[in-house]
Amino acid sequence: MGVGGAVHRAKTPSNGKIGRASAPYLLILPSILFAFWIIGYPIYDMANMSVHAVNRFGKTAAFNDFANYQRLFSHQLFIGCLIRTLVWTVFVVGGTVLLSVPIALILNEKFFGRTLARIIIMLPWAVSLTMTGIVWRWSLNGQFGMVNATLANFGLQDTPVEWLATSTTAFPILIAIGILVSIPFTVTVILGGLSSLQADVFEAAKIDGASGWQRFRYLTLPLIRPFLNIVLVLNFIYVFNSFPLIWVMTQGDPANSTDILVTWLYKLAFRYGELGIASALSIVMFLILLALTIVYAALAMRNERSTA
Amino acid sequence: MYQTKKSRVISLLAGTAAIVFASTAAQAETIRVVLGYYSAATQGLFEGMAKDFMEKHPGDEVKIEVIQWDNLQQRLTTDIAGGTEPDIAMIGTRWLVDYVKNDIAEPMDLTPEFKASFIESFLSPSTFDGTMYGLPVAASARAMYYNKDLLAKAGVNEPPTNWDGVVDTARKIKALGTDAYGFALQGKEIETDAYWYYSLWTHGGELIKDGKSGVASPEAIKALTLYKSMIDEGLTEPDPSGLNRQDIERLFKQGRIGMILTGPWLRGQIKADAPTLNYALSPIPEGTTKATYGVTDTLMVFKSSKQKELAMKFLTETAFSPKWRIEFSTKEGFLPVMKEEAAAPVFADDPQLKAFTDMLPYARFAPPVANWEQMVDAVIAAVQKVYIGQAQPEAALKEAAATIDGLIQQ
Repeated sequence: MGVGGAVHRAKTPSNGKIGRASAPYLLILPSILFAFWIIGYPIYDMANMSVHAVNRFGKTAAFNDFANYQRLFSHQLFIGCLIRTLVWTVFVVGGTVLLSVPIALILNEKFFGRTLARIIIMLPWAVSLTMTGIVWRWSLNGQFGMVNATLANFGLQDTPVEWLATSTTAFPILIAIGILVSIPFTVTVILGGLSSLQADVFEAAKIDGASGWQRFRYLTLPLIRPFLNIVLVLNFIYVFNSFPLIWVMTQGDPANSTDILVTWLYKLAFRYGELGIASALSIVMFLILLALTIVYAALAMRNERSTA
Repeated sequence: MYQTKKSRVISLLAGTAAIVFASTAAQAETIRVVLGYYSAATQGLFEGMAKDFMEKHPGDEVKIEVIQWDNLQQRLTTDIAGGTEPDIAMIGTRWLVDYVKNDIAEPMDLTPEFKASFIESFLSPSTFDGTMYGLPVAASARAMYYNKDLLAKAGVNEPPTNWDGVVDTARKIKALGTDAYGFALQGKEIETDAYWYYSLWTHGGELIKDGKSGVASPEAIKALTLYKSMIDEGLTEPDPSGLNRQDIERLFKQGRIGMILTGPWLRGQIKADAPTLNYALSPIPEGTTKATYGVTDTLMVFKSSKQKELAMKFLTETAFSPKWRIEFSTKEGFLPVMKEEAAAPVFADDPQLKAFTDMLPYARFAPPVANWEQMVDAVIAAVQKVYIGQAQPEAALKEAAATIDGLIQQ
């Protein structure tokens, strides 16, 4: 084939040029089409379902004038779930990044037992979210849980506290555990960024008399910014759509006060059989994430250009 | 090494051939049965029925698949949407109305004698407009379990028969000053609503009355106010909205609950986990009337099935034969649904089981309405708001009733 191509090129140089320029694209075209189909078809199907009447068994009927969207937006639980989703996402992602940067900085220093420390930080990653959720659910059980037992042993508690019984304790706890499970991935990415930094720049800054904080603020932070951007966008998407922790620990209880959009979506689709509203909600969530990601990517790129 | 490899290849080939063969030749005579998981015994019981049936009908095949109850509805929904539904499925009887409405369940043409062999109250939940769409496979009613030792310590020798008695007994248990609680109250997850229906029904309330929700009726408000006052007085475990059914049952097994309302399965669990627990059973406490919650699961045949006749034969000849019914109900710990079954010594001579069967005439079932699961969650949200003190009973129940009325009209 290589020989044939060479002969062909030799004979018609002008055609060969075009052929050579487009060849890579032609070669990856099937994969691109396939990827578009894999990603695009479910979105198309979901969008299609969201504007039709659907029964609980997924059989679509007539176009229904966006009635699914109307019912979704006028549903008494929608706004509450949306606000909680944003609170949940902002706090989990914010907390994760705020904690991960110092952890990554420490793990980037050379000290005795660093490898062990890195492994310990990464280990929770190997445990599935569902397992983490079950373990915490057990630990936080008011009557039989380890947390209350420990507190009682230290004399810090007279009567057992049901941690997951009200949203005032349950939701902050969920956020804290959300942060805990997001740290390994975030630290890994930031650590990768830190290890790519050139030591001589920091040495030069040190000689010029820059303090530790100044070196962090004006050198480290701008240099690892691309990594922070990636971490923010990916975590935002993961956490926004994060289902297992909340589902396992509270199922949105009590009285929907720990429900976020994705747990409510699951109830709508698989418990209530409201596939119409559920597909409309899926599309709304998809658009929210898409919009936020595009805005953030645009901002990050503009920043990069202006600093460059 | 070579030998094992070779035999593995051969068995793989044989397996493939079997699959190909089965899917071509046996297509006309295979029925697939999807079941919910009750216990480790479920699979074996139905495999036994299938074996029995296949011996009687050589050439035909019955394939059994057991699925967790939590995933069953979702699995069947996806199957139906994709056109790969089985021939027979076990479902919660309250789902049946959606299956009938969407023309998925096959009406059952049964002989009068076969119908007459069932305890009648169990047939009504699967009957719509005079036509039956399913057979009750597992039935349970609820009763009150009480800890005899704990009650005796508190100076109560006879279990309370009404709610005033329950409150009184719980106060005495509280006065003991131990870590035991008088009355267990379930506050989250599956059947949190049912735990409140006991109070609602015995106070004379109805879930649905004249086509409207009855959860905000004066009786309903009274029923919920009673529970709330018991929480406030410390007669239940603290913060009930943190405990699901297993949690309160576990407390009872540890001897830390005076009275709990639940189903027959707890007997088996006590036998296994807390054999020394001195307990007994009595009817659900009365308010103005007697009531209990009756729950059945149903075996139904799909309209799309190509082997409806064979599927029906499997149900009427084997699955609902007295032999297998007795085997099933005793192993799984359910109440008998057929008369011959109920007359069998295992059931007739069991005094504990009598507490449940005696209540059957007063049993209420979940109303056969569409959107039931959504109504349940509206009720659960309302009672939870009251349990955690976020809303007053009347306001919370009115909100739930409005939601339910909206769902009824849908």
